[in-house]
Amino acid sequence: MLRLSPLTSMKALSLPPQVQADGGGPRFWKSLEEWSHSPDFLPYLHQEFPEFVSEWDNGMSRRRFLKLMAASLALAGLTGCSRQPQEKIVPYVRRPEEIIPGKPLYYATSFSHRGYGKGVLVRTEMGRPIKIEGNPDHPASLGATDIFMQASILGLYDPDRSQTIRQGKDISTWNALTQFVGSRIEAHEQDQGAGLFLLMGQTTSPTLVDQFQRLRERLPKSRWCFYEPAAPVRAQSISGNDVEPSYDLSKADIIVSLDADFLFDGPGNLILTKAFAKKRRDPAADFNRLYVIESAPSITGAKADVRWQHKPSEVIAFTQQLAAELLQGVPAASPALGKLADDLRQHRGKSVIIAGDYQPEIVHNLAFQLNQALGNVGATVTYREAPRHPVPTIQLPDFVAELKAGAASTLLIAGVNPIYDLPAALGFPEALAHVANSMHLGLYDDETGSRCQWHVPEAHYLETWGDIIAIDGTPSVIQPVIEPLYPDVASLMEVISLFVDLPPKKGYDLVHDYWLRNLAADSPVAWDQSLNKGVVVEFSSPALPPAPVVGVRDAPSPDPLKASDLEILIRPDSAVDDGRFANNAWLQELPRPLTKLTWDNVAMLSLNTAKSMGVTTGDVIRLEAAGQSVEAPVWVQPGHADGCVSVTLGYGRSQVGEVANGVGFNAALLRSSVGEWSRMLDGAQATGARRELASTQHHFSMEGRDLIQIETLAAYKIDPNKAQEVKPNPEPRENLYPPFEYKNYAWAMSIDLNTCVGCNACVVACQSENNIPVVGKDQVIKGREMHWIRIDRYFEGEPEDPAMHFQPVACMQCEDAPCEVVCPVGATVHTSEGLNDMVYNRCVGTRYCSNNCPYKVRRFNFLEYSDVKHPTLALQKNPDVTVRSRGVMEKCTYCVQRIESARIDAQKEMRPIRDGEIVTACQAACPAEAIVFGNINDPTSRVSRLKALPRNYGLLADLNTHPRTTYLAKITNPPSAA
Amino acid sequence: MRTTPTSELEPLLPPGVTDDSISERISGIVVKRKMGLGWIGGFAIAFSLLMMFNYAIAVLFAYGVGIWGIQIPVAWGFAIVNFVWWVGIGHAGTFISAVLYLCHQEWRTSINRFTESMTLFAVACAGIFPLIHLGRPWLFYYLFPYPNTMGLWPQFRSPLIWDMFAVTTYAIVSVVFYFVGLLPDLATLRDRSPHRWQRVIYGLLALGWRGAGRQWSRYKMAYLIMAGLATPLVVSVHSIVSLDFAVGIVPGWHTTIMPFYFVAAALQSGFAMGLILIIPVRHFYHLKDIITGRHLANMAKLLLATSLIVGHGYFTDTFMSWYSADPYDKFIVADKFSGAYAIGGWMLMILDVGVPQLIWIRAVRQSPVALFVIAILANVGLWLDHFILVVQSLHSDYLPSEWRMFYGTKWDWMTLFGSFGLFLTLFFVFIRIFPMVAMSEMRGLVHKKPGETKEQGA
Repeated sequence: MLRLSPLTSMKALSLPPQVQADGGGPRFWKSLEEWSHSPDFLPYLHQEFPEFVSEWDNGMSRRRFLKLMAASLALAGLTGCSRQPQEKIVPYVRRPEEIIPGKPLYYATSFSHRGYGKGVLVRTEMGRPIKIEGNPDHPASLGATDIFMQASILGLYDPDRSQTIRQGKDISTWNALTQFVGSRIEAHEQDQGAGLFLLMGQTTSPTLVDQFQRLRERLPKSRWCFYEPAAPVRAQSISGNDVEPSYDLSKADIIVSLDADFLFDGPGNLILTKAFAKKRRDPAADFNRLYVIESAPSITGAKADVRWQHKPSEVIAFTQQLAAELLQGVPAASPALGKLADDLRQHRGKSVIIAGDYQPEIVHNLAFQLNQALGNVGATVTYREAPRHPVPTIQLPDFVAELKAGAASTLLIAGVNPIYDLPAALGFPEALAHVANSMHLGLYDDETGSRCQWHVPEAHYLETWGDIIAIDGTPSVIQPVIEPLYPDVASLMEVISLFVDLPPKKGYDLVHDYWLRNLAADSPVAWDQSLNKGVVVEFSSPALPPAPVVGVRDAPSPDPLKASDLEILIRPDSAVDDGRFANNAWLQELPRPLTKLTWDNVAMLSLNTAKSMGVTTGDVIRLEAAGQSVEAPVWVQPGHADGCVSVTLGYGRSQVGEVANGVGFNAALLRSSVGEWSRMLDGAQATGARRELASTQHHFSMEGRDLIQIETLAAYKIDPNKAQEVKPNPEPRENLYPPFEYKNYAWAMSIDLNTCVGCNACVVACQSENNIPVVGKDQVIKGREMHWIRIDRYFEGEPEDPAMHFQPVACMQCEDAPCEVVCPVGATVHTSEGLNDMVYNRCVGTRYCSNNCPYKVRRFNFLEYSDVKHPTLALQKNPDVTVRSRGVMEKCTYCVQRIESARIDAQKEMRPIRDGEIVTACQAACPAEAIVFGNINDPTSRVSRLKALPRNYGLLADLNTHPRTTYLAKITNPPSAA
Repeated sequence: MRTTPTSELEPLLPPGVTDDSISERISGIVVKRKMGLGWIGGFAIAFSLLMMFNYAIAVLFAYGVGIWGIQIPVAWGFAIVNFVWWVGIGHAGTFISAVLYLCHQEWRTSINRFTESMTLFAVACAGIFPLIHLGRPWLFYYLFPYPNTMGLWPQFRSPLIWDMFAVTTYAIVSVVFYFVGLLPDLATLRDRSPHRWQRVIYGLLALGWRGAGRQWSRYKMAYLIMAGLATPLVVSVHSIVSLDFAVGIVPGWHTTIMPFYFVAAALQSGFAMGLILIIPVRHFYHLKDIITGRHLANMAKLLLATSLIVGHGYFTDTFMSWYSADPYDKFIVADKFSGAYAIGGWMLMILDVGVPQLIWIRAVRQSPVALFVIAILANVGLWLDHFILVVQSLHSDYLPSEWRMFYGTKWDWMTLFGSFGLFLTLFFVFIRIFPMVAMSEMRGLVHKKPGETKEQGA
């Protein structure tokens, strides 16, 4: 039947078959029907199917006609299709050596951010990268991660990523692009590249630097400009280079932060946090003291033992006064300053002054001088010259001016979004319009991309080859962990290769060739080791490390600002940075550490300033600066300096994707230059409008409840048991039900409030590990965010100048859990190891467990929150964790999938699970190592020893819940009152 | 009692009444009277509300409980408030039918059918809410101990399981009690129906009732037993519903006064709802001589008495929270009267304890309009009481970081008002198909001489 063409089958019906002379059936039959008219067939038919005979005999019944018409049409459809090419699929007869279904594989690579790398290990499941962990071998990660590293996995699968090469309005091809670049190169070889302009983000990639230099050699008149919207300001060395400080906080007893959010921001945040936490972990050992002066509260400020809040101009004045006292012996302007100066003098060589990345040059300059005067240079801080730009560059304003003058015939914009993030005063859109041939390489066909003739989708770092240098100068190779999701994507290297190599090379060849040239003797082995470890071993790059700095040039004093007016402070956002992560829904919904705000940027004001302006949280004000104005919702923030407004970059995107388009306002418009981080506001008026903001925590105060136990170091040394005395665990246990017995393991967690810096890395790590959905702004407003671990933030003291505290709260896995007894269907049950397990299949969604949870750590799928619309997002899901449907309760499980995986390994080797073998996602991410997980049935385990400390206490332990997660009380170290 | 004004000693029956006239009047409403415009109009409104209810539930099933305002920490909202409120309303019916029957309070006879119907319909409304409030309502049967391949039983420590049993039992007993009480009246309807189809239907429902002496004697015994069975339910159901809260660790819920106070509040809302229904019906159907001012005054007195008990509950709750020195409980009680929900806290005190105190005044007691208004306000107050209990307690419990305000959405309100639609639709249907006053019991009353009850009741 299937071999028949429709025509022949119709013929067979309509025409009587040619019957052969011998009276038999046709010798050459065209169809079964025809054949079937043979005399042999008909009697057989009568016998076999008597009821169908009439139909068969009757040449054309209506029913038969319809039936065959339908069959013919179907066949016509089949034959109309072209034959699919044969594709042989072969199951794993011999499976690839490393792939065991269900067993994750980890690959080392590097995440680059603002031109510097941080090492990561990427967990892949059957070829799908699903989770980012820190690379313990990498000096800028040391096994920890920050929010951007964690969330970058979602960026890979972002359905809004650009997927095809575009020329004008049409989809184009790699070949067409190659031809286009070839023709441009030909043209530019005439003018030595005078019309070739390149605008890109900063990079330290050795291979790229090499490529840039080759391109520059080939076309020496080409014009280059590198910029980062959130590049740090630096002091200038005598040779005119940027001075790059590198701090060793493990040796610093006194840390002074001049508006430096070093625990959160920058390429060294993880190592700084680690070193900072190390000196705060054990109150019995040496303990550092942190002074912070800042305008808008940051997590570093929240950790401060002494914190001053001043508006930006006063931060400079403060630094100048401090310098005057310490360098010139001018008596202190205030007793507080005098105390700081004394403390610094007493800790020569053991203190460090850190100037904020976004402070003007003079502050960096003074910090350098102060560190030198205090003998800190070489001890707690080293200054080096920053790597020079690989090729001679021109300043951004000149670059744009030349574009405007029509000097460029070809412009390549790579990895930056100047239409969005350059100050309006530069007039970049106008400049771009002057360029005849513009090319854009980016992850998204964004504001800039859409205005360029060519757009090339950039490869995500997890799907491409590359290399990058860490803050301490260690290079590492970026290796892809997945085949590019879209065939057209290319890395910057591959695009530059179009310009310099004939034929163009692929990323692997470029990186591999470069490192084979630059590695030590045994290159192939060293190459493999470098890939394996995630850091390049035995490299011999001449550019590294840079020379130490001996002196800095005098910085220009900033123009004095009028004290009465309102200043504005601009910072990268603490979730979406400068906008590059704007379309990352995990980051959008990540509660900012101090505001707990999601899905928006705001104009942050102090209580007093808001009062004097007559506005309150949610009122929209119009901010005017640099000839531009934006409308921003007000956020009144305790701990904010008076007399200034602080705003964050990264919002107000218009062309990036579903997540970020139209969210927030673009604070970059308020700058007059890219490096301008604070300035006077030209105006700020209430508009009368209001905007609803989505915050996840509405209450500031602990209401006098002993939720975070805080002790000064001095008091702790006198009586370390105070924390326990406040909240004794009720013993013996009183319970109606018989106690549980934990024969093998009893899992528990300890969270050190002393070292926790509130950086949110655990929150994103948990979201990534446990397939936690994003709910969107309106749902957050309703109070339905899904994070399994949240960081509670409390203010203590005066609202104008409060102390700030963080407390990560996830399911406490209570031994006498209130949630378990009230579930009518037994969907949350106690395990033999003390976990409160959720049985999603059993849950009917009464939500009684959540009501009865005193910690309110349970999360409910009020609607269908799991994204089933976008197929790429499904690739990110952890196969070991259920994706929850609507109507189901969920909560922290202590990463039970990791416990089980460790158990399988241990059982195979017939041994108990070792201490430290199970690392929960939050614990793995934590740069401060504040979270420790383990077995409390083993008194020698790390968690048992932590729980034996006098600072150990259970949250709301007086409710008799016996939480398995306990906290270590926070110890502060203010200078003695004397 | 001696000084009770005459109107409250008004005879329970109109003068010159006979067995036949009683039966004729009451059954006539069902079998003879044409559908009036008033009925059609009222039914249309009720039915529209019911359709709104259906729509709200259809949307709910399509999207999930997220269409409501509930969140974390306030994971229970209108659905549970409505459930508790409707179950409470049911209680007065059983109280009047069973408890007053056992106490030989024969003034109940002309209103017990009303209040029993009210019970059934209120329980029908109430029963819907626990079902639809589930995140996955299609799996509601997980709560039942049915044999299954998973070998799983529900978790009997959970008050929700107790609740499920209590409400199911209550619904079943109420239906049976109601039906048993209806039997002689169904037979009367059968006998007095003008159309054959009516006679067939009522005949089937009457289960062969012939009014024989033996039937009466068995019937009386059965009714007494049913009343005896129903009586503990008046106390047990709402006590168990209250355990949903009292067992919880939530400050404001975790108090031993809950069962006592819940039952009182339930009866109060039931008496109020009874007044709300009876007053218009006796007016529109000209039953003022059967459901007399004395009936209303008695109901009002019960409403007053229960409001005092509820007031006592509030006082004790407040006192105990202070006396316990539990900081969380103290906070929640203080917050009730001074926090974000303070308006609700004060309103409920005024409406369900303050306003009913007007019943002390005789003129108020004798004015159906005043009683109607007081009853509505008391019921609003009791709804607010449950709202404050559920929402305000949850909105600020132990960790201030998770404190959050609850706001009902339009779907919450549509479901609440839609449930009135269900209740009223059932009620409108009821007054068309069943006798709204128990004829058989009224006939019994005809044969009693005035003053006879007192002696008999002893």
